Amino acid sequence: MSNYTLKLDYQLAPGWLQPYTEGLSQGRAVSWCCSTCERTSFPPVRTCTCGQTTGTWVALAGTARVIHYTCGQDGEFALAQFEGADTATVVKLCHNTATNLSYQVGTSANLTGSLQASGSAKPELVLRLDPIGKTS
Amino acid sequence: MSSGTRVKISGAALTPYNRRKDNSSFRDWACSAFNDALYKSGLEHRDIDALYVASESDFFTLQLNPASVIASDIGIEGVSTTRIEGGGASGQLAIHAATRAIQSGYVKHAAVIGVDPSASMLNSDTIKKLYSFSFDAWTDGMTGVSATVLYALSFQSFLQRTRVEEKQLASVAIQNRANALHNPNAHLGREHTVDEVKESPLIAAPYRRLHCSPLSDGAAAAILSRSDSIPSNRKNAATIIGIGGASDAMHLGAREDPGHFRAKETAMNRACAEARITPDQIGVAEVYDAYAGAQLQAIDALSLSDDLLNDLQTERFAPTGQCPINLSGGLLGQGAPTGATGVGQTASIALMLEGDYVPALQPRTIPRYGLADTHGGVCTTSAVTLMEKSVSV
Ligand SMILES: [Zn+2]
Repeated sequence: MSNYTLKLDYQLAPGWLQPYTEGLSQGRAVSWCCSTCERTSFPPVRTCTCGQTTGTWVALAGTARVIHYTCGQDGEFALAQFEGADTATVVKLCHNTATNLSYQVGTSANLTGSLQASGSAKPELVLRLDPIGKTS
Repeated sequence: MSSGTRVKISGAALTPYNRRKDNSSFRDWACSAFNDALYKSGLEHRDIDALYVASESDFFTLQLNPASVIASDIGIEGVSTTRIEGGGASGQLAIHAATRAIQSGYVKHAAVIGVDPSASMLNSDTIKKLYSFSFDAWTDGMTGVSATVLYALSFQSFLQRTRVEEKQLASVAIQNRANALHNPNAHLGREHTVDEVKESPLIAAPYRRLHCSPLSDGAAAAILSRSDSIPSNRKNAATIIGIGGASDAMHLGAREDPGHFRAKETAMNRACAEARITPDQIGVAEVYDAYAGAQLQAIDALSLSDDLLNDLQTERFAPTGQCPINLSGGLLGQGAPTGATGVGQTASIALMLEGDYVPALQPRTIPRYGLADTHGGVCTTSAVTLMEKSVSV
Protein backbone atom coordinates (compact mmCIF):
# COMPACT_ATOMS: atom_id res chain seq x y z
CA MET A 1 0.00 0.00 0.00
CA SER A 2 1.18 3.55 -0.74
CA ASN A 3 0.13 6.33 1.59
CA TYR A 4 -1.09 9.51 -0.03
CA THR A 5 -2.77 12.54 1.53
CA LEU A 6 -4.76 15.10 -0.43
CA LYS A 7 -5.93 18.27 1.29
CA LEU A 8 -8.36 20.44 -0.66
CA ASP A 9 -9.60 23.95 0.19
CA TYR A 10 -12.32 25.11 -2.14
CA GLN A 11 -13.74 28.58 -2.68
CA LEU A 12 -16.97 27.92 -4.52
CA ALA A 13 -18.83 30.64 -6.41
CA PRO A 14 -22.60 30.40 -5.88
CA GLY A 15 -23.39 32.08 -9.22
CA TRP A 16 -27.12 32.50 -9.80
CA LEU A 17 -27.79 31.02 -6.34
CA GLN A 18 -26.10 33.93 -4.51
CA PRO A 19 -29.32 35.54 -3.13
CA TYR A 20 -30.32 32.14 -1.78
CA THR A 21 -26.96 31.36 -0.14
CA GLU A 22 -26.66 34.86 1.34
CA GLY A 23 -30.16 34.46 2.73
CA LEU A 24 -29.28 31.19 4.43
CA SER A 25 -26.25 32.69 6.18
CA GLN A 26 -28.55 35.42 7.58
CA GLY A 27 -31.45 33.10 8.43
CA ARG A 28 -33.69 34.32 5.58
CA ALA A 29 -35.48 31.86 3.27
CA VAL A 30 -35.03 33.45 -0.15
CA SER A 31 -37.13 31.69 -2.80
CA TRP A 32 -37.52 32.09 -6.56
CA CYS A 33 -40.93 33.08 -7.90
CA CYS A 34 -41.67 32.40 -11.58
CA SER A 35 -42.79 35.48 -13.54
CA THR A 36 -45.34 33.48 -15.56
CA CYS A 37 -47.07 31.00 -13.22
CA GLU A 38 -45.85 32.35 -9.85
CA ARG A 39 -44.69 28.90 -8.77
CA THR A 40 -42.40 29.58 -5.82
CA SER A 41 -39.50 27.22 -5.34
CA PHE A 42 -37.40 26.88 -2.19
CA PRO A 43 -34.63 25.92 -2.70
CA PRO A 44 -34.81 27.94 -5.92
CA VAL A 45 -35.08 26.17 -9.26
CA ARG A 46 -33.66 28.22 -12.11
CA THR A 47 -36.05 27.02 -14.83
CA CYS A 48 -39.67 26.73 -13.71
CA THR A 49 -41.71 23.60 -14.50
CA CYS A 50 -43.67 25.86 -16.92
CA GLY A 51 -40.43 26.55 -18.82
CA GLN A 52 -40.01 30.18 -17.75
CA THR A 53 -36.52 31.34 -16.75
CA THR A 54 -37.35 34.82 -15.51
CA GLY A 55 -38.71 35.56 -12.05
CA THR A 56 -38.00 37.40 -8.84
CA TRP A 57 -36.27 36.62 -5.55
CA VAL A 58 -38.81 36.60 -2.74
CA ALA A 59 -38.01 36.30 0.97
CA LEU A 60 -40.41 33.88 2.67
CA ALA A 61 -41.51 34.15 6.30
CA GLY A 62 -39.02 31.40 7.19
CA THR A 63 -41.43 29.08 8.95
CA ALA A 64 -41.91 25.52 7.78
CA ARG A 65 -44.00 22.39 8.32
CA VAL A 66 -42.35 18.97 8.50
CA ILE A 67 -43.74 16.43 6.01
CA HIS A 68 -41.42 13.49 6.76
CA TYR A 69 -38.97 13.11 9.63
CA THR A 70 -35.93 10.85 10.04
CA CYS A 71 -33.27 10.33 12.68
CA GLY A 72 -30.44 7.91 13.43
CA GLN A 73 -26.66 7.72 13.22
CA ASP A 74 -26.69 10.02 10.16
CA GLY A 75 -28.41 12.81 12.14
CA GLU A 76 -31.83 14.36 12.31
CA PHE A 77 -33.36 15.56 9.04
CA ALA A 78 -36.76 16.21 7.49
CA LEU A 79 -38.54 16.92 4.27
CA ALA A 80 -40.24 20.22 5.06
CA GLN A 81 -42.32 22.80 3.24
CA PHE A 82 -41.72 26.49 3.93
CA GLU A 83 -44.73 28.76 4.21
CA GLY A 84 -45.29 30.43 0.84
CA ALA A 85 -43.30 27.84 -1.15
CA ASP A 86 -44.84 25.43 -3.65
CA THR A 87 -41.98 22.94 -3.26
CA ALA A 88 -40.60 21.15 -0.21
CA THR A 89 -36.96 20.81 0.82
CA VAL A 90 -34.67 18.56 2.82
CA VAL A 91 -33.51 20.29 6.02
CA LYS A 92 -31.19 19.46 8.88
CA LEU A 93 -33.03 19.75 12.20
CA CYS A 94 -32.03 21.27 15.48
CA HIS A 95 -34.12 21.77 18.60
CA ASN A 96 -33.72 22.70 22.20
CA THR A 97 -34.36 19.28 23.70
CA ALA A 98 -31.27 17.10 23.96
CA THR A 99 -32.66 13.86 22.54
CA ASN A 100 -33.98 12.88 19.13
CA LEU A 101 -37.72 12.69 18.68
CA SER A 102 -38.89 9.10 18.53
CA TYR A 103 -39.61 8.03 14.99
CA GLN A 104 -43.14 7.11 14.00
CA VAL A 105 -44.43 7.11 10.45
CA GLY A 106 -47.16 9.66 9.87
CA THR A 107 -46.73 11.61 13.09
CA SER A 108 -44.21 14.14 11.84
CA ALA A 109 -46.85 16.30 10.13
CA ASN A 110 -47.39 18.09 13.46
CA LEU A 111 -43.82 19.39 13.63
CA THR A 112 -43.08 22.99 12.67
CA GLY A 113 -40.02 25.20 12.89
CA SER A 114 -38.18 28.18 11.51
CA LEU A 115 -35.03 28.67 9.46
CA GLN A 116 -31.88 29.00 11.51
CA ALA A 117 -29.10 31.30 10.29
CA SER A 118 -26.13 29.18 9.27
CA GLY A 119 -23.82 32.02 10.31
CA SER A 120 -21.25 31.07 7.65
CA ALA A 121 -20.88 31.23 3.90
CA LYS A 122 -21.69 27.51 3.74
CA PRO A 123 -25.27 27.19 2.46
CA GLU A 124 -26.66 24.94 5.18
CA LEU A 125 -30.43 24.48 5.41
CA VAL A 126 -31.16 24.17 9.13
CA LEU A 127 -34.64 24.20 10.65
CA ARG A 128 -35.00 24.92 14.37
CA LEU A 129 -38.03 22.96 15.55
CA ASP A 130 -40.71 24.64 17.61
CA PRO A 131 -41.50 22.99 20.93
CA ILE A 132 -43.82 20.06 20.23
CA GLY A 133 -47.46 21.09 20.37
CA LYS A 134 -46.90 24.58 19.01
CA THR A 135 -48.43 25.18 15.57
CA SER A 136 -47.41 27.97 13.26
CA MET B 1 -35.07 -2.02 -31.75
CA SER B 2 -35.85 1.15 -33.63
CA SER B 3 -32.66 1.37 -35.69
CA GLY B 4 -32.97 -2.20 -37.00
CA THR B 5 -29.48 -3.18 -35.79
CA ARG B 6 -29.59 -5.94 -33.19
CA VAL B 7 -27.05 -5.80 -30.36
CA LYS B 8 -25.94 -8.95 -28.59
CA ILE B 9 -24.04 -9.40 -25.36
CA SER B 10 -21.27 -11.60 -26.72
CA GLY B 11 -19.22 -11.55 -23.51
CA ALA B 12 -20.03 -10.93 -19.84
CA ALA B 13 -18.02 -11.32 -16.64
CA LEU B 14 -17.82 -10.05 -13.07
CA THR B 15 -14.96 -10.12 -10.60
CA PRO B 16 -15.82 -10.83 -6.97
CA TYR B 17 -17.39 -7.83 -5.20
CA ASN B 18 -15.86 -7.48 -1.72
CA ARG B 19 -13.21 -5.54 0.18
CA ARG B 20 -9.86 -6.51 -1.36
CA LYS B 21 -7.06 -7.18 1.07
CA ASP B 22 -4.61 -8.52 -1.52
CA ASN B 23 -2.91 -5.25 -2.54
CA SER B 24 -4.66 -5.33 -5.94
CA SER B 25 -5.92 -2.10 -7.57
CA PHE B 26 -9.03 -1.12 -9.50
CA ARG B 27 -6.97 -1.37 -12.70
CA ASP B 28 -6.25 -5.04 -11.93
CA TRP B 29 -9.97 -5.74 -11.45
CA ALA B 30 -10.86 -3.94 -14.70
CA CYS B 31 -8.29 -6.07 -16.59
CA SER B 32 -9.58 -9.26 -15.02
CA ALA B 33 -13.25 -8.57 -15.85
CA PHE B 34 -12.38 -7.51 -19.41
CA ASN B 35 -10.18 -10.56 -20.08
CA ASP B 36 -12.90 -12.94 -18.89
CA ALA B 37 -15.61 -11.19 -20.92
CA LEU B 38 -13.44 -11.09 -24.05
CA TYR B 39 -12.62 -14.79 -23.67
CA LYS B 40 -16.32 -15.63 -23.43
CA SER B 41 -17.10 -13.51 -26.53
CA GLY B 42 -14.71 -15.52 -28.73
CA LEU B 43 -13.36 -12.24 -30.08
CA GLU B 44 -9.78 -10.90 -30.16
CA HIS B 45 -8.45 -7.62 -28.78
CA ARG B 46 -8.17 -6.25 -32.33
CA ASP B 47 -11.92 -6.78 -32.88
CA ILE B 48 -12.87 -4.16 -30.26
CA ASP B 49 -13.70 -0.76 -31.81
CA ALA B 50 -14.65 1.27 -28.75
CA LEU B 51 -14.27 1.24 -24.97
CA TYR B 52 -16.75 2.68 -22.47
CA VAL B 53 -15.62 2.86 -18.85
CA ALA B 54 -18.11 3.55 -16.07
CA SER B 55 -16.57 4.92 -12.87
CA GLU B 56 -18.32 7.22 -10.44
CA SER B 57 -15.75 9.19 -8.54
CA ASP B 58 -12.22 10.45 -9.14
CA PHE B 59 -11.98 10.86 -5.36
CA PHE B 60 -12.10 7.09 -4.98
CA THR B 61 -9.75 6.11 -7.84
CA LEU B 62 -7.59 9.27 -7.90
CA GLN B 63 -7.51 8.73 -11.66
CA LEU B 64 -9.07 11.21 -14.06
CA ASN B 65 -9.64 10.03 -17.63
CA PRO B 66 -9.66 6.37 -16.54
CA ALA B 67 -10.86 5.06 -19.91
CA SER B 68 -7.60 5.97 -21.65
CA VAL B 69 -5.54 4.36 -18.90
CA ILE B 70 -7.61 1.18 -18.91
CA ALA B 71 -7.48 0.97 -22.74
CA SER B 72 -3.68 0.80 -22.47
CA ASP B 73 -3.81 -1.66 -19.58
CA ILE B 74 -6.06 -4.10 -21.44
CA GLY B 75 -4.18 -3.79 -24.72
CA ILE B 76 -6.69 -2.05 -26.98
CA GLU B 77 -4.82 1.26 -27.33
CA GLY B 78 -5.98 3.13 -30.42
CA VAL B 79 -9.72 2.53 -29.97
CA SER B 80 -12.18 5.30 -29.14
CA THR B 81 -12.36 5.67 -25.34
CA THR B 82 -15.08 7.32 -23.26
CA ARG B 83 -15.66 7.56 -19.53
CA ILE B 84 -19.33 7.55 -18.48
CA GLU B 85 -20.51 8.98 -15.14
CA GLY B 86 -24.06 9.25 -13.91
CA GLY B 87 -23.79 8.46 -10.19
CA GLY B 88 -25.14 5.01 -9.34
CA ALA B 89 -26.45 4.66 -12.90
CA SER B 90 -22.98 4.99 -14.47
CA GLY B 91 -22.64 1.32 -15.47
CA GLN B 92 -26.04 1.03 -17.13
CA LEU B 93 -25.53 4.36 -18.91
CA ALA B 94 -22.28 2.94 -20.32
CA ILE B 95 -24.21 -0.11 -21.62
CA HIS B 96 -26.65 2.31 -23.26
CA ALA B 97 -23.89 4.39 -24.86
CA ALA B 98 -22.25 1.26 -26.29
CA THR B 99 -25.60 -0.04 -27.56
CA ARG B 100 -26.34 3.20 -29.42
CA ALA B 101 -22.79 3.31 -30.81
CA ILE B 102 -23.27 -0.12 -32.37
CA GLN B 103 -26.71 0.85 -33.68
CA SER B 104 -25.16 3.94 -35.29
CA GLY B 105 -23.27 1.62 -37.61
CA TYR B 106 -19.81 2.94 -36.73
CA VAL B 107 -18.95 0.30 -34.14
CA LYS B 108 -19.13 -3.49 -34.47
CA HIS B 109 -17.87 -4.56 -31.07
CA ALA B 110 -17.73 -2.35 -27.97
CA ALA B 111 -16.21 -3.20 -24.60
CA VAL B 112 -17.96 -1.85 -21.51
CA ILE B 113 -16.10 -1.93 -18.20
CA GLY B 114 -17.56 -0.77 -14.90
CA VAL B 115 -15.19 -0.41 -11.98
CA ASP B 116 -14.89 1.37 -8.64
CA PRO B 117 -13.00 0.92 -5.42
CA SER B 118 -14.87 1.33 -2.15
CA ALA B 119 -12.13 3.68 -0.90
CA SER B 120 -12.55 2.00 2.46
CA MET B 121 -9.29 3.58 3.65
CA LEU B 122 -11.06 6.98 3.82
CA ASN B 123 -12.94 7.67 7.03
CA SER B 124 -16.69 7.14 6.91
CA ASP B 125 -17.52 10.85 7.31
CA THR B 126 -15.41 11.71 4.27
CA ILE B 127 -17.09 8.98 2.21
CA LYS B 128 -20.52 10.16 3.34
CA LYS B 129 -19.63 13.73 2.39
CA LEU B 130 -18.33 12.74 -1.05
CA TYR B 131 -21.47 10.73 -1.77
CA SER B 132 -23.69 13.60 -0.58
CA PHE B 133 -22.32 15.63 -3.49
CA SER B 134 -23.95 13.20 -5.92
CA PHE B 135 -27.23 14.94 -5.00
CA ASP B 136 -27.54 18.76 -5.40
CA ALA B 137 -24.25 19.78 -3.75
CA TRP B 138 -25.54 23.31 -3.03
CA THR B 139 -28.65 22.25 -1.16
CA ASP B 140 -28.52 18.62 0.01
CA GLY B 141 -24.72 18.24 -0.02
CA MET B 142 -23.80 21.41 1.90
CA THR B 143 -26.58 20.71 4.42
CA GLY B 144 -24.84 17.46 5.28
CA VAL B 145 -27.53 15.09 4.06
CA SER B 146 -26.39 11.48 3.56
CA ALA B 147 -27.66 9.16 0.84
CA THR B 148 -29.38 7.09 3.54
CA VAL B 149 -31.27 10.16 4.82
CA LEU B 150 -32.57 11.03 1.34
CA TYR B 151 -33.59 7.45 0.58
CA ALA B 152 -35.28 7.20 4.00
CA LEU B 153 -37.35 10.35 3.39
CA SER B 154 -38.33 9.13 -0.07
CA PHE B 155 -39.29 5.70 1.27
CA GLN B 156 -41.45 7.24 4.00
CA SER B 157 -43.51 8.90 1.30
CA PHE B 158 -43.81 5.52 -0.47
CA LEU B 159 -44.86 3.88 2.84
CA GLN B 160 -47.76 6.28 3.24
CA ARG B 161 -49.14 5.19 -0.13
CA THR B 162 -48.47 1.45 0.08
CA ARG B 163 -48.60 0.53 3.78
CA VAL B 164 -45.64 -1.85 3.51
CA GLU B 165 -44.83 -3.30 6.93
CA GLU B 166 -41.49 -3.56 8.73
CA LYS B 167 -41.49 -7.33 8.26
CA GLN B 168 -41.90 -6.96 4.48
CA LEU B 169 -39.14 -4.37 4.33
CA ALA B 170 -36.84 -6.74 6.24
CA SER B 171 -37.78 -9.60 3.89
CA VAL B 172 -36.12 -7.78 0.97
CA ALA B 173 -32.75 -7.67 2.74
CA ILE B 174 -33.18 -11.24 3.99
CA GLN B 175 -34.03 -12.62 0.52
CA ASN B 176 -31.25 -10.78 -1.32
CA ARG B 177 -28.57 -11.77 1.19
CA ALA B 178 -29.85 -15.37 1.14
CA ASN B 179 -29.49 -15.36 -2.67
CA ALA B 180 -25.97 -13.98 -2.25
CA LEU B 181 -25.03 -17.00 -0.12
CA HIS B 182 -25.08 -19.04 -3.35
CA ASN B 183 -23.11 -16.46 -5.36
CA PRO B 184 -19.36 -17.02 -4.96
CA ASN B 185 -18.68 -13.45 -6.14
CA ALA B 186 -20.92 -11.86 -3.49
CA HIS B 187 -19.77 -9.50 -0.75
CA LEU B 188 -22.49 -10.15 1.85
CA GLY B 189 -24.07 -13.59 1.58
CA ARG B 190 -25.80 -13.92 4.98
CA GLU B 191 -28.66 -15.58 6.77
CA HIS B 192 -30.62 -12.92 8.63
CA THR B 193 -33.77 -13.09 10.74
CA VAL B 194 -36.38 -10.33 10.83
CA ASP B 195 -35.35 -9.61 14.42
CA GLU B 196 -31.68 -9.22 13.46
CA VAL B 197 -32.67 -6.66 10.84
CA LYS B 198 -34.97 -4.85 13.29
CA GLU B 199 -32.28 -4.75 15.96
CA SER B 200 -29.43 -3.52 13.73
CA PRO B 201 -28.31 0.09 14.34
CA LEU B 202 -30.65 2.84 13.16
CA ILE B 203 -28.97 4.90 10.42
CA ALA B 204 -31.88 7.06 9.19
CA ALA B 205 -35.34 5.85 10.20
CA PRO B 206 -36.77 3.56 9.02
CA TYR B 207 -33.45 2.37 7.59
CA ARG B 208 -31.21 0.28 9.80
CA ARG B 209 -27.73 -0.98 8.99
CA LEU B 210 -29.02 -4.24 7.49
CA HIS B 211 -31.41 -2.40 5.13
CA CYS B 212 -28.38 -0.71 3.49
CA SER B 213 -26.07 -1.98 0.74
CA PRO B 214 -22.31 -2.04 1.35
CA LEU B 215 -19.64 -0.20 -0.63
CA SER B 216 -17.52 -2.79 -2.41
CA ASP B 217 -14.41 -3.18 -4.52
CA GLY B 218 -14.95 -4.79 -7.89
CA ALA B 219 -15.41 -4.67 -11.65
CA ALA B 220 -17.71 -6.05 -14.33
CA ALA B 221 -17.39 -6.15 -18.10
CA ALA B 222 -19.56 -6.79 -21.12
CA ILE B 223 -18.68 -7.08 -24.79
CA LEU B 224 -21.51 -5.80 -27.00
CA SER B 225 -21.58 -6.89 -30.63
CA ARG B 226 -23.60 -6.35 -33.79
CA SER B 227 -25.59 -9.55 -34.16
CA ASP B 228 -24.36 -10.05 -37.74
CA SER B 229 -20.72 -9.83 -36.58
CA ILE B 230 -20.83 -12.18 -33.60
CA PRO B 231 -18.68 -15.36 -33.70
CA SER B 232 -20.66 -18.41 -34.86
CA ASN B 233 -20.21 -20.19 -31.51
CA ARG B 234 -21.86 -17.26 -29.69
CA LYS B 235 -25.25 -17.32 -31.41
CA ASN B 236 -26.91 -18.17 -28.09
CA ALA B 237 -25.86 -14.82 -26.59
CA ALA B 238 -28.72 -12.69 -25.25
CA THR B 239 -29.96 -9.72 -27.28
CA ILE B 240 -30.56 -6.19 -26.01
CA ILE B 241 -34.10 -5.47 -27.24
CA GLY B 242 -34.81 -2.12 -25.60
CA ILE B 243 -33.12 0.54 -23.54
CA GLY B 244 -34.62 3.55 -21.81
CA GLY B 245 -33.24 6.46 -19.84
CA ALA B 246 -34.96 9.29 -17.99
CA SER B 247 -34.41 11.87 -15.26
CA ASP B 248 -36.45 13.50 -12.49
CA ALA B 249 -36.34 16.79 -10.54
CA MET B 250 -33.02 16.94 -8.66
CA HIS B 251 -34.71 18.04 -5.42
CA LEU B 252 -36.80 15.39 -3.66
CA GLY B 253 -39.08 18.17 -2.40
CA ALA B 254 -39.77 19.44 -5.91
CA ARG B 255 -41.33 16.12 -6.92
CA GLU B 256 -45.09 15.69 -6.89
CA ASP B 257 -44.69 12.39 -5.02
CA PRO B 258 -41.21 12.11 -3.42
CA GLY B 259 -41.82 8.38 -2.90
CA HIS B 260 -42.43 7.58 -6.56
CA PHE B 261 -39.47 6.85 -8.84
CA ARG B 262 -40.96 8.69 -11.81
CA ALA B 263 -37.73 8.60 -13.86
CA LYS B 264 -37.68 4.82 -13.54
CA GLU B 265 -41.29 4.56 -14.71
CA THR B 266 -40.49 6.73 -17.74
CA ALA B 267 -37.27 4.84 -18.54
CA MET B 268 -39.16 1.53 -18.32
CA ASN B 269 -41.93 2.80 -20.61
CA ARG B 270 -39.33 3.89 -23.15
CA ALA B 271 -37.47 0.57 -22.98
CA CYS B 272 -40.70 -1.43 -23.29
CA ALA B 273 -41.86 0.66 -26.27
CA GLU B 274 -38.55 0.01 -28.01
CA ALA B 275 -38.66 -3.71 -27.18
CA ARG B 276 -42.39 -3.99 -27.95
CA ILE B 277 -43.04 -5.92 -24.77
CA THR B 278 -44.95 -5.18 -21.55
CA PRO B 279 -43.62 -5.33 -17.95
CA ASP B 280 -45.67 -8.45 -17.15
CA GLN B 281 -43.60 -10.41 -19.71
CA ILE B 282 -40.38 -9.93 -17.70
CA GLY B 283 -39.31 -13.27 -16.21
CA VAL B 284 -36.16 -12.28 -14.30
CA ALA B 285 -34.81 -8.93 -13.08
CA GLU B 286 -31.85 -7.31 -11.40
CA VAL B 287 -33.14 -4.08 -9.84
CA TYR B 288 -31.36 -1.26 -8.02
CA ASP B 289 -31.64 -2.08 -4.32
CA ALA B 290 -29.23 0.41 -2.75
CA TYR B 291 -31.68 0.18 0.20
CA ALA B 292 -34.29 -2.48 0.93
CA GLY B 293 -37.13 -0.02 0.41
CA ALA B 294 -35.67 1.16 -2.90
CA GLN B 295 -36.23 -2.36 -4.28
CA LEU B 296 -39.95 -2.08 -3.43
CA GLN B 297 -40.11 1.41 -4.96
CA ALA B 298 -38.40 -0.01 -8.07
CA ILE B 299 -40.86 -2.92 -8.39
CA ASP B 300 -43.66 -0.37 -8.22
CA ALA B 301 -42.16 2.08 -10.72
CA LEU B 302 -41.17 -0.67 -13.17
CA SER B 303 -44.76 -2.02 -13.05
CA LEU B 304 -43.47 -5.49 -12.16
CA SER B 305 -46.43 -5.90 -9.82
CA ASP B 306 -50.13 -4.99 -9.87
CA ASP B 307 -50.47 -5.78 -6.17
CA LEU B 308 -47.18 -5.32 -4.30
CA LEU B 309 -48.28 -6.58 -0.87
CA ASN B 310 -49.86 -9.71 -2.34
CA ASP B 311 -46.87 -10.42 -4.58
CA LEU B 312 -44.51 -10.13 -1.60
CA GLN B 313 -46.78 -12.49 0.34
CA THR B 314 -46.89 -15.08 -2.46
CA GLU B 315 -43.12 -14.78 -3.11
CA ARG B 316 -43.48 -13.79 -6.75
CA PHE B 317 -39.96 -12.30 -6.62
CA ALA B 318 -38.26 -15.17 -4.75
CA PRO B 319 -35.86 -17.51 -6.64
CA THR B 320 -38.68 -19.95 -7.45
CA GLY B 321 -41.29 -17.23 -8.10
CA GLN B 322 -42.68 -16.06 -11.44
CA CYS B 323 -40.23 -13.16 -11.66
CA PRO B 324 -37.14 -13.69 -9.49
CA ILE B 325 -35.55 -10.39 -8.50
CA ASN B 326 -31.88 -9.95 -7.60
CA LEU B 327 -30.87 -13.59 -7.83
CA SER B 328 -27.29 -12.29 -7.70
CA GLY B 329 -28.00 -10.89 -4.24
CA GLY B 330 -28.42 -7.38 -5.65
CA LEU B 331 -26.54 -4.45 -4.19
CA LEU B 332 -27.62 -5.55 -0.71
CA GLY B 333 -26.07 -9.01 -1.02
CA GLN B 334 -23.72 -9.14 -3.98
CA GLY B 335 -22.36 -5.70 -3.13
CA ALA B 336 -21.93 -2.35 -4.82
CA PRO B 337 -18.74 -1.17 -6.54
CA THR B 338 -20.66 1.79 -7.98
CA GLY B 339 -19.35 1.98 -11.57
CA ALA B 340 -19.52 -1.81 -11.88
CA THR B 341 -23.10 -2.13 -10.63
CA GLY B 342 -25.07 -1.50 -13.82
CA VAL B 343 -22.61 -3.42 -16.01
CA GLY B 344 -22.72 -6.33 -13.56
CA GLN B 345 -26.54 -6.35 -13.49
CA THR B 346 -26.71 -6.51 -17.30
CA ALA B 347 -23.91 -9.11 -17.44
CA SER B 348 -25.73 -11.26 -14.86
CA ILE B 349 -29.08 -11.16 -16.71
CA ALA B 350 -27.31 -11.92 -20.02
CA LEU B 351 -25.66 -14.98 -18.45
CA MET B 352 -28.99 -16.12 -16.93
CA LEU B 353 -30.71 -15.83 -20.34
CA GLU B 354 -27.96 -18.02 -21.82
CA GLY B 355 -28.29 -20.57 -19.02
CA ASP B 356 -24.68 -19.89 -18.02
CA TYR B 357 -25.10 -18.14 -14.66
CA VAL B 358 -23.90 -19.40 -11.25
CA PRO B 359 -25.36 -22.97 -11.23
CA ALA B 360 -27.07 -22.68 -7.83
CA LEU B 361 -28.86 -19.50 -8.93
CA GLN B 362 -29.48 -20.21 -12.64
CA PRO B 363 -33.27 -20.30 -13.33
CA ARG B 364 -34.18 -23.90 -14.30
CA THR B 365 -36.62 -22.71 -16.94
CA ILE B 366 -34.96 -19.85 -18.74
CA PRO B 367 -37.39 -16.95 -19.13
CA ARG B 368 -37.66 -15.22 -22.49
CA TYR B 369 -37.15 -11.68 -21.20
CA GLY B 370 -34.91 -10.17 -18.50
CA LEU B 371 -34.47 -6.67 -17.09
CA ALA B 372 -31.57 -4.71 -15.60
CA ASP B 373 -32.47 -1.51 -13.74
CA THR B 374 -30.00 1.02 -12.35
CA HIS B 375 -30.30 4.57 -11.08
CA GLY B 376 -28.28 7.48 -9.73
CA GLY B 377 -29.28 9.99 -7.04
CA VAL B 378 -32.61 9.12 -5.43
CA CYS B 379 -33.67 7.91 -8.87
CA THR B 380 -32.77 11.26 -10.37
CA THR B 381 -31.12 9.48 -13.33
CA SER B 382 -32.60 6.17 -14.40
CA ALA B 383 -31.42 3.57 -16.95
CA VAL B 384 -33.33 0.41 -17.85
CA THR B 385 -32.14 -2.36 -20.20
CA LEU B 386 -34.35 -5.17 -21.55
CA MET B 387 -32.85 -8.39 -22.90
CA GLU B 388 -34.19 -11.45 -24.73
CA LYS B 389 -32.78 -14.94 -24.80
CA SER B 390 -31.62 -16.29 -28.14
CA VAL B 391 -33.98 -18.58 -30.05
CA SER B 392 -31.19 -21.17 -29.99
CA VAL B 393 -31.21 -21.40 -26.16
ZN1 LIG C 1 -43.63 28.93 -14.04
